[in-house]
Amino acid sequence: MSLRVLNPNAEVLNKSAALHMNINAAKGLQDVLKTNLGPKGTIKMLVGGAGDIKLTKDGNTLLKEMQIQNPTAIMIARTAVAQDDISGDGTTSTVLFIGELMKQSERYIDEGMHPRVLVDGFEIAKRATLQFLEKFKTPVVMGEEPDKEILKMVARTTLRTKLYEALADQLTDIVVDAVLCIKKAEEGIDLFMVEIMHMRHKFDVDTRLVEGLVLDHGSRHPDMKRRAENCYILTCNVSLEYEKSEINAGFFYSNAEQREAMVSAERRQVDERVQKIIELKNKVCSGNENNFVIINQKGIDPPSLDLLARAGIIALRRAKRRNMERLVLACGGEAVNSVDDITPDCLGWAGLVYEHILGEEKYTFVENVKNPHSCTILIKGPNDHTIAQIKDAVRDGLRSVKNTIEDEAVVLGAGAFEVAARQFLMNEVKKTVQGRAQLGVEAFANALLVVPKTLAENSGLDTQDVIISLTGEHDRGNIVGLNQHTGEPIDPQMEGIFDNYSVKRQIVNSGPVIASQLLLVDEVIRAGRNMRKPS
Amino acid sequence: MKEIVTVQVGGFANFVGSHFWNFQDELLGLAEDPCADSVFKKQHLDMDVLYRTGETQQGILTYTPRLVSIDFQGSLGSMSSHGTLYNHEPTIPSDITTWTAGVSTHTAERHKKNLFLQSLYEEQDRTVDKSGPQGEYQDRDIVESLGKGVEFWTDFSKVHYHPQSLYELSGLWMDAREFDNYGIGRDALSHGLQGEEISERLRVFVEECDRVQGFQFMVDDSGGFSAVASELLENIADEYSNTPVLLYALRAPESYVNLGKRKQTILRSLHDAVSFSRLASYCHLVVPVGLPSLSTSRASSFFCIEDERPYHCSAVYAAALHSISLPFRMGSLVPTADLHYVSGAVDVGDVVRILSGQSRSNKVAILDMAMPAPSLTGKESGERLLNNLHPVTPEITEDVEDLQAVETMTIHGVLGPGGHPASASEVKDTIHAAYEHTSTRPKFCHLSAAHSPLPIPLPFPSIFKNVVGQRGELLENPTASPLLKGSLEVHSVPMAVRLRSSSAILPYLENRLGYLRRYGVDRGAPGAELVRSWGFGKDELEDFGEALSKMINELKPHSEVSSDSD
Ligand SMILES: Nc1ncnc2c1ncn2[C@@H]1O[C@H](COP(=O)(O)OP(=O)(O)O)[C@@H](O)[C@H]1O
Ligand SMILES: [Mg+2]
Repeated sequence: MSLRVLNPNAEVLNKSAALHMNINAAKGLQDVLKTNLGPKGTIKMLVGGAGDIKLTKDGNTLLKEMQIQNPTAIMIARTAVAQDDISGDGTTSTVLFIGELMKQSERYIDEGMHPRVLVDGFEIAKRATLQFLEKFKTPVVMGEEPDKEILKMVARTTLRTKLYEALADQLTDIVVDAVLCIKKAEEGIDLFMVEIMHMRHKFDVDTRLVEGLVLDHGSRHPDMKRRAENCYILTCNVSLEYEKSEINAGFFYSNAEQREAMVSAERRQVDERVQKIIELKNKVCSGNENNFVIINQKGIDPPSLDLLARAGIIALRRAKRRNMERLVLACGGEAVNSVDDITPDCLGWAGLVYEHILGEEKYTFVENVKNPHSCTILIKGPNDHTIAQIKDAVRDGLRSVKNTIEDEAVVLGAGAFEVAARQFLMNEVKKTVQGRAQLGVEAFANALLVVPKTLAENSGLDTQDVIISLTGEHDRGNIVGLNQHTGEPIDPQMEGIFDNYSVKRQIVNSGPVIASQLLLVDEVIRAGRNMRKPS
Repeated sequence: MKEIVTVQVGGFANFVGSHFWNFQDELLGLAEDPCADSVFKKQHLDMDVLYRTGETQQGILTYTPRLVSIDFQGSLGSMSSHGTLYNHEPTIPSDITTWTAGVSTHTAERHKKNLFLQSLYEEQDRTVDKSGPQGEYQDRDIVESLGKGVEFWTDFSKVHYHPQSLYELSGLWMDAREFDNYGIGRDALSHGLQGEEISERLRVFVEECDRVQGFQFMVDDSGGFSAVASELLENIADEYSNTPVLLYALRAPESYVNLGKRKQTILRSLHDAVSFSRLASYCHLVVPVGLPSLSTSRASSFFCIEDERPYHCSAVYAAALHSISLPFRMGSLVPTADLHYVSGAVDVGDVVRILSGQSRSNKVAILDMAMPAPSLTGKESGERLLNNLHPVTPEITEDVEDLQAVETMTIHGVLGPGGHPASASEVKDTIHAAYEHTSTRPKFCHLSAAHSPLPIPLPFPSIFKNVVGQRGELLENPTASPLLKGSLEVHSVPMAVRLRSSSAILPYLENRLGYLRRYGVDRGAPGAELVRSWGFGKDELEDFGEALSKMINELKPHSEVSSDSD
């Protein structure tokens, strides 16, 4: 997809032309993303120049796939992508909000108003809205065990904006359970401890939670078992391959014998390491039927594999670095960097280890572990673009659960917050503001409505009617969101539609910052190259 | 030691890589082709060093480069990033299994396959049903169409790539012209998961290796991609700490175009300094390749090249890289006694050790090449061959006497007396004899030789001058045709390449140190703010400066005195 709103090569335009170019660019980007919003939005299928397919319902992914050339649009896109980096959601809303702030401003500017005045109003409105959000949010008490129901509601709300209902609901339990699995009291939640693994499977769309780990490789020796029960797990980062000593040692073999001697000395060292592992295996497995698996971050060469296979050990090499941590969290034991002092205490435990082969792709499942603090979400799908889309959704779902736990709060969704905040600004805040900055507050307030309006539009409803009935119901003292099937007001609480507090906060924060920059241009900004994440 | 993992990063690097793999593909094809020249039948090269064996889900065996290539999104032209072999969904799926509300489809304009690619696909289909008609196109049309225009490196690629090999960077929202410095590249990977995804793909290829001998990096270091490469290298240095990394820092002539603005000069110079410092710190041997004007250089005496066409320049450099890689694949198959076909097997680590760690430590090598290498006939043929080696490394001193110089040389496919391919041992004897007679003999030279020449695949550009014959021999009475020769006229070319560790590289290093000081470190340096915005603090820049000074001091003649004393 290509978006070329205006000639990007024009280096400098006059102020008014520059301003209008910014406004148009923001509106242009809004138009592209608009249809994405909410559970009734359209999914986009992008077919590239070589026939490659990408499927996305996510503003973030869509933006990254687009070939944006207009510098203003690039600036907005960067803000939105940063939004996703920081809070994991809300990209589409960010783009819509910035676009709408520009659109609302355009009216006043065309009537001769100075952008500075609008920007002052934005600032007031932003602060007021953030304060309002503090009152409006629904606190969630975490205590010892978080309230699983509320976590599920947040996850479900997010997932249903990315996947159809039944699939979203199936994933809801998975992502909540996954986060609860890795959550440890007193510590932050490291979502990397949830491994996301996929398999391409022609006729199968399925996602499941594996309590344990799935690795994308298998053992490399034909005689090693493909399935084993009651396994000791040795997690290590120890080279079990013959390497030539120090690359830059400045040493050069003067003759063949010397070379041979060096080689065999190196080999002996590796063999000794392997021997230590075998000794440990013999110690813990003698007199019982238990098995022994080593999962190594470094390499294991064929002679070492031979020795290990002969000792009945299953060995995997070149495991992901992160899997060292995950394995220990899932199976217990510790990750060792040397085999010199290994003891049975270093070992973890898994009830079942088995291999699954699909063409050249091998998977190793480490399952039936005790009290795991790491787990794997395994996605099966018929093709790469479906898998990628589910993966994105899973990531969003995980983030929403983590955010809820960390925020200790959620916000009523379906446009409820936006309607309430808008009414608050119009009815309470505007009158306290001196002079024309009032109009900036008004523009901001109305821009908030872009969310419920777009949700309505994507549901095929009349936006005017919807807004009138929502604001009316609100002014009667109720908290209202949009029922996307009927256009009637609903109570999002009853329907379990909740958004993340931190996501909303971030949108309210960053939207006006970018819009203000765009309004206060002196000349056309060139694409802000080294833009960092706004804080 | 066995496998090599290749990594290509950035536009020009992928052009070079595309030719490089075309040569490999051609070698594989010729080895099986009953009509091929007999020198290609017994190559005694272990292609498993560069290739991996795999299997599709349908159980079809595959043989593909062990490669990770990184480039802009959209740089693959008409080739799918999933490659062609494992193609699971050739047509647009009718149903979307994840969403029940609306779908909107956005189809980019389809890249048209050029004649060459069309013919490849037809050939593939023909081998499937055998009955199809002969292609409508003649090979000549194909060569001509490539001569007229190549936009993407995929336009002239005849290789099947693994679906995990081609990685496109997305979300950059800029083109090559804007992606022109280290800072931008550093930003590109700083958020999101792309850096990790690339490292993961690499890990999967390494996991398959039994005894990886090294990484071969081809990096377009003229802009942001050098930052992408160094992020990756940093990870490699961590994860595969004892595995040697050989890096080619590649430049297209167009990357030297100077816009003349001072601001631009400062940016370019600082980029060169920072980029080199970072890349060099993570690898074991760096070979800068790419002249500002290849067309007018002595290295292209037998070509007519258009500097502004990466398709041309990359072909020449790729040929050199191919030759350098031959000794890496001689090891595992041949008993060292059989000196007829190949000799002088070394692995990547050996070459690193020879060049960088013998008499002094220097990890920057100069690449010289002779393409075609002259025949070993007549008097002083060895000397003639040595004199034909010309540098393709920029910013070096031409005639320098360096008593500490060391080198590795690979000569392959040269013709001996009577127009027969010279045996590996003949080559060795001739060159050793020649070195006996020259005054500028290096301190040490490792020589590898192979029987088989460089094969010229169909999509190789038509850049040979008239004097080059069918087997790359230099004709005494070339026909007076104004046309350049290509793959239809020249089928193979004898090659000689040399990697040289010599103080001739000093200007290259000194320039970079100068740039760093003048524009980045000195008081009131005009680019200080700029490098800071790339994320480098003063300390880091000073470290770069120190590392560069150290490299320079090692190579300066006076340092011999000190190294002799210990
Ligand atoms: N069932 C629902 N009914 C109405 N609105 C909903 C519902 N579920 C989610 N939403 C709203 O959809 C919006 C999020 O849509 P989404 O497509 O995820 O965009 P974003 O990228 O901005 O997160 C939120 O405003 C949320 O309140
Ligand atoms: Mg969302």
